[in-house]
Amino acid sequence: MGIYSAGIYPAVLVVSAVVVVLGGVTMAWIRAHRVLEWAVTALWIATGVQAIAVVVLLLSGNDAGLVLTIGYLLATIVILPLMGIGRLGAPDAAAADPDPNRPVLQPDQIARVDGGAAVIVGIAAAVLAWRIAIILGAA
Amino acid sequence: MNAVGRILLIAAYAILGLAATGRSVVQITTKLSEAPLPYLVSGASALLYVLIAIALWRGWRRVAIVGTAVELVGVLVVGTLGYAAPELWPDETVWTGYGSAYGWVPLALPVIALVVLLRGRGADAEAVATPAD
Repeated sequence: MGIYSAGIYPAVLVVSAVVVVLGGVTMAWIRAHRVLEWAVTALWIATGVQAIAVVVLLLSGNDAGLVLTIGYLLATIVILPLMGIGRLGAPDAAAADPDPNRPVLQPDQIARVDGGAAVIVGIAAAVLAWRIAIILGAA
Repeated sequence: MNAVGRILLIAAYAILGLAATGRSVVQITTKLSEAPLPYLVSGASALLYVLIAIALWRGWRRVAIVGTAVELVGVLVVGTLGYAAPELWPDETVWTGYGSAYGWVPLALPVIALVVLLRGRGADAEAVATPAD
């Protein structure tokens, strides 16, 4: 529990905050998109480490409710792919889809979509990490 | 409709739908008898969020506009009744306190969505009225 509450949980919060800030910056200044991609990768890694730590804590006899904890953990993982949602609007991806309503995005729009999605997902990831920490008794 | 705004609304509604669905499924399957009205309202809001996300994704603008309008009315009615008739709400819903447990996102999101959707409709109508040469 010590490693989780003192290291992993704060790290997830910090990485989420960085993703939110860089997402906002990318929406205003699309050249930050490349840096945002690094932060997104960091959030994937932090979430993976968090998932492993939470499973280890549950297996080691933590009193946390299993359904709620696993539910929040799955939600944390499910939302991550939304950070790359801008790629779905790339011309080659849209051309492969017969759906006429699918938007085709320019490179600057893809960056802005990724930035906005990063803001949304970063906030959600931080809230979910906080909820998991509360359930585990680590916050 | 603005493509960037549309996609970000889809992401926001998908996440809110996920959160509301998870919460309401746990509430309805484990303790519905304790507070049937709040838990059923939470379930209805979850369905609405998912429906709006799908409508935005599929380009069903009318469904999205009606859905977000219903959502806004729901947040305002449930939020107001929470203060005016607290005995009706033995537990919280997604819309309790105008969505305060979710950072008031349930109140802000339908307003933003309606602005994006209605502004997009106006722009489309203008484009039809003045076609390019």
